[in-house]
Parts: sequence; C-alpha cells; structure tokens
Amino acid sequence: MTSPAKRLIAAAAALAALLLSSVPAGAPEVHLSITKGFGEKVIIAVPLFHGSSGSTSTKDMRVVLSADLRNSGYFSVVENLSFVDEVETDDRRAGRVDFAEWLTLGAEVLVKGDIAVRGQEMTLEAQAYDLSVGRSIFSRRYVGAPGRWRTMVHELADDLVRQLTGEQGIARSKIAFVSNATGTKEIYVMDYDGENMRRLTKDGLAAMYPAWFADNGTVAYTRFRKNGQELVALTVGTGVIRRLTAFPGLNAFAAVSSKGNEIAMTLSRDGNPEIYRLRADGTDPRRLTRGSATESSPCWSPDGRRIAFVSDRSGTPQVYVMSAAGGAEERMTYRGSYNSAPAWSPKGDLIAYTARVDGVFQVCTLDVETKDVVQLTTGAGNKEDPSWAPDGRHLVYSVRSQRKSDLYMLDIYDLVPVRLTSGSGDHVSPAWSH
Amino acid sequence: MRKNSSLFVVLVVLAGVLLALGGCGKKQVAEPIAEPQEDTQAVRGDDVPLSEPEETIYVEPGAGVFQDIHFEFDKYRILPDDEGTLQRIARWLKENEDVKVLIEGHCDERGTNEYNMALGEQRALAARRYLVTLGVASDRLNTISYGEEQPLSSASTEEAWAANRRAHFTVSQ
Repeated sequence: MTSPAKRLIAAAAALAALLLSSVPAGAPEVHLSITKGFGEKVIIAVPLFHGSSGSTSTKDMRVVLSADLRNSGYFSVVENLSFVDEVETDDRRAGRVDFAEWLTLGAEVLVKGDIAVRGQEMTLEAQAYDLSVGRSIFSRRYVGAPGRWRTMVHELADDLVRQLTGEQGIARSKIAFVSNATGTKEIYVMDYDGENMRRLTKDGLAAMYPAWFADNGTVAYTRFRKNGQELVALTVGTGVIRRLTAFPGLNAFAAVSSKGNEIAMTLSRDGNPEIYRLRADGTDPRRLTRGSATESSPCWSPDGRRIAFVSDRSGTPQVYVMSAAGGAEERMTYRGSYNSAPAWSPKGDLIAYTARVDGVFQVCTLDVETKDVVQLTTGAGNKEDPSWAPDGRHLVYSVRSQRKSDLYMLDIYDLVPVRLTSGSGDHVSPAWSH
Repeated sequence: MRKNSSLFVVLVVLAGVLLALGGCGKKQVAEPIAEPQEDTQAVRGDDVPLSEPEETIYVEPGAGVFQDIHFEFDKYRILPDDEGTLQRIARWLKENEDVKVLIEGHCDERGTNEYNMALGEQRALAARRYLVTLGVASDRLNTISYGEEQPLSSASTEEAWAANRRAHFTVSQ
C-alpha cells in the first residue's frame, strides 16, 4: 500500500499548506479551520432544507446531498437524523445557528438550505458553517427548473467539496457504458450515482467501447456493421452520429486525449492489431507500434505525452507505456500472466488495470514511477475495464457474478464497492466523463 | 443553409426524374437525410440482434467448403487439423474468383473483453494470412472480430469453449 499512502500524505500536506498559507490568486479558497489527516473525514450535518420545494421532497434532496458528500470520500454525514432535525427546528424558531448544540452532535460542518419555488423556477439558498469557530464559510444560490433539483443538489455537493478540500467533486459527472438489456449491446449514459440511466444508441448490431471526448458532450464508440467495425462519434445532446474510421478489421478501443484533439485506438488495417494515433475527426492515422504482437487498449497520460497499452509480445498480455509519438516502450507489469485494460489516472500517478489473480480478474493500480502494484478488489466475480472519475480517487468497473455483469464504483482509499446498476442485462465497459 | 437545401431539392427532383425515366420499378430510397453514411442494412435490419445468425447466404457451389476452424486457448496459430479445411477454401476461392469472403474471429468467454476482441481479430487474420499464402488475393478477404460476443454455445465447459474459439467464413459478395 506504499503508493496510495504516499499520495495521501502528499495530498494531506498540500491541504494543510493550503489551509495555513494565504490563498494564492486563482486557487480555490479553502475555508475550514480543521486540518484533516487523510483517511479522516469531515463530519457534516445535513438538516432538511427549509421551505416549500413544490412536488419535490426535501427528504429526497437530503438523501442525494448526503450520498454525494459521502461518495466524495471526504465527508461522513451525521446519521442521527431525528436529533439533526430537532436542532434545526430549534434554530429556525430562534432565527440563529446554535453552534454549541450542533457541536454536541459531533458535527464539524453544517450545511443548511432554503428552498423557494415560484412558477417554473426553484431557488436553493445554501449556507455552510464551520462549527468549531462558529462562522459561515460558504453561501451560494442555485436557480433552476424544479425538475432539475437533482442537478442543483449535485452542484452544491461539488461546490462544498471544492470549497472544503480544494479537490474536484464528481457529483455532476456521468458514466457512459454498454448494456445488452434490449438484447443488443448499446451505449447508455447515467449519472455518476446510477440515476437517470438512458440509452443513447439504437444501432441494432452492437455498439461497444464508449469513450468521452473532452467536452463531455460527445462519446466515441465502436459500432458493428454487417461487414466490419467502424468508430463513430455520437453527440449526446443531438443524437447526431459522425463516422470517424472504417478501416478493414479492428476499429476499436478509442481513447480521446485530455485536450480532446486526438484519438488513440487499435487498428488492424496493416495486417496486425497495432496502436494508432489519429486526429479527433478520425483522419491522419499514424502507427505507433510495430512487430507481430497484439497491441490493444491504449489510454493517454493526462499530459498527453505518453500512452499506456496492452501487448502480448512477452507471450502473455501485459501493460506497457510508450511515448505518444511512438517509441520509448517500457513494460510496466510483471506480476501475473494476464494484465489488461489500463486506465491512466487524471492525476497522472497511477494506472488502473485488470489483473488475473488466482484465476479471477481483479482491479489493481500501478504506480507509474515505482511500478508498485496495489490490488484494490478481492473475491469471486471477474472485475473488468476500470475507468477513473475526474477526481482521480474513484474508479468504476464491471463485476460479473451469477452470469450477469453490473457496474460498481470504488473509492481507492476506502475500498468499499458501491453498486451502481441493477435490472436485466449486462452492464459493462464503463467510461467516466472528465 | 438555404443554398444547401435548394441544392438538395434540385437533387431530389433530378433523382425523381431519373427514376421515372428509368421506369424499372426500383425501390425508392428512403434514407434518413441525417445519416447519409448508413448502408441499407441499417434500414432493413435495425432490430436484428447481434446474436442472430447471419443472413442466409445462398451459395450453392461451395456450400460445405466454408467450415469453421478452431484454436487453442489464448492462441491464434493455425492448427494442423485445420490446414485441409483452409486448403479446400483456398481451392474453391480460386475457382470462384468473383467471390469475397468475410472472416470472423471468435473467442471463448474467458479472458477480458477488450483483449478477446483483439485476439479474435488475430484469429481471423491468421486464417487470412494462410489463405493468402495459398494464393488467394488479399483484397478478397476481409476480417471482423466479434471477440467473445457471439459464442456458439453459452455453456461454461471445455467443450463449449473449444467450439467457441473459431474463425468462421461467410461469403460477403
């Protein structure tokens, strides 16, 4: 566990430095008197929002906000809700915040909301308080159609994470994936917490391997035609599909660079599966790998300078890294005889991948500098295709169990898997938005 | 925009005139404008699931020639047992020069999804290379990998896995 531990300490030091030093211009402001060691969580109380929320239940809003805060990994939420609501009622009656009373709940931070619905507009006024020093540290108003309440609450959660930790939240992120619920593999998208699942494609002949473009509004995927595969780009908002590549053979495993201007993918048009680099519109393919081995599943480092991929040149599939210009190839995995599906953390330090351990595929991380390996999952059921959340802290992957696959989210520090999908069909090949 | 749409109208009218002049009762093309790259398969078979058998291919001569060949676990080399099959296919293709073949590569359910997609392609390519060495023109042989997506048998037994690790040949035109 050396590498995440080191990372935690570094992150904790950075957080402490942020708290102690004056905040440089442009950096997010962090207003919290408590300095947390990593692994320790900020204890937050979430009373019911006050006011009329129309048809939306304030209880649902609290459930979503609490889940978002917990899922971020940085918060634990006070669970004694009857006590929380009692103190809140007293506060409302007195017209002030009774900091001492909130402290007795064990809370360090308190978040309150006032809701008003006027016609087709809902307003959520949120306040957060640092209880130990008894002052407001956050205040923001969210306005939107009442039907968008979920997005507004997600936005509040992300703002609280940013305000209190300086880190990017994931509450507004999306996950694209493949499901065969209709009998055919199609591309779907859902919120990061598994809500609002909807189908994006109706190809009829299998759609696989989704990958987000940098704008989070376009998904590239491999579509099967009767005589071959092609890579297409689907604009989620409009449903417009553009064809990017249709070479003979494989047109698979597209990965978009973080700037969004290039694609890495596997093509076999030269007679062997190799990694290619193309413009985002599918033109100007440049071959990056040579030789007779099978090269697949490329992914970009966040700075766009390197590409991780899988090759069987050693006789078994292993993870390699090369320069994004080709060359400087380096083998990264040595343990085990089947390592595949690499995903480079948006923070740059780790590569998540699938490793066969005692006959079962598990999700591991690999430290890019030290090559230290940490196995994140255990137990029966093959876990495949990890994809990183934008916070570089969470992974989503598929788990096959009882002849059915579902998606799970994992905080790489807490290591408690959270199931995101259910219902009929397999849910595989997740791609977390940026 | 306006220019484009009037150009489109002109083209549609022209097409209509040509169709009328042709008068051979060809089926009117009703492609959606938004997706001009769609082939007719998309219109005809929108809801054909991947698992259904390929459209029946009516090739009287050569039927029985296109038998599946099989592979070892995680391997794509051609097995000696299958060389006779490939030789028969090559011979037939040389006698039927107007025919093109799509070689499908398939895997068993073990292995990861993405790696199996690459492995299936290697199996199809291995069969293609073998046919090319026997004198079949490479531009008559296309490949497609289905990875582990289209097993012949969904059982998790050695027999089922062995049957699923295959290259399958279909006449594409």
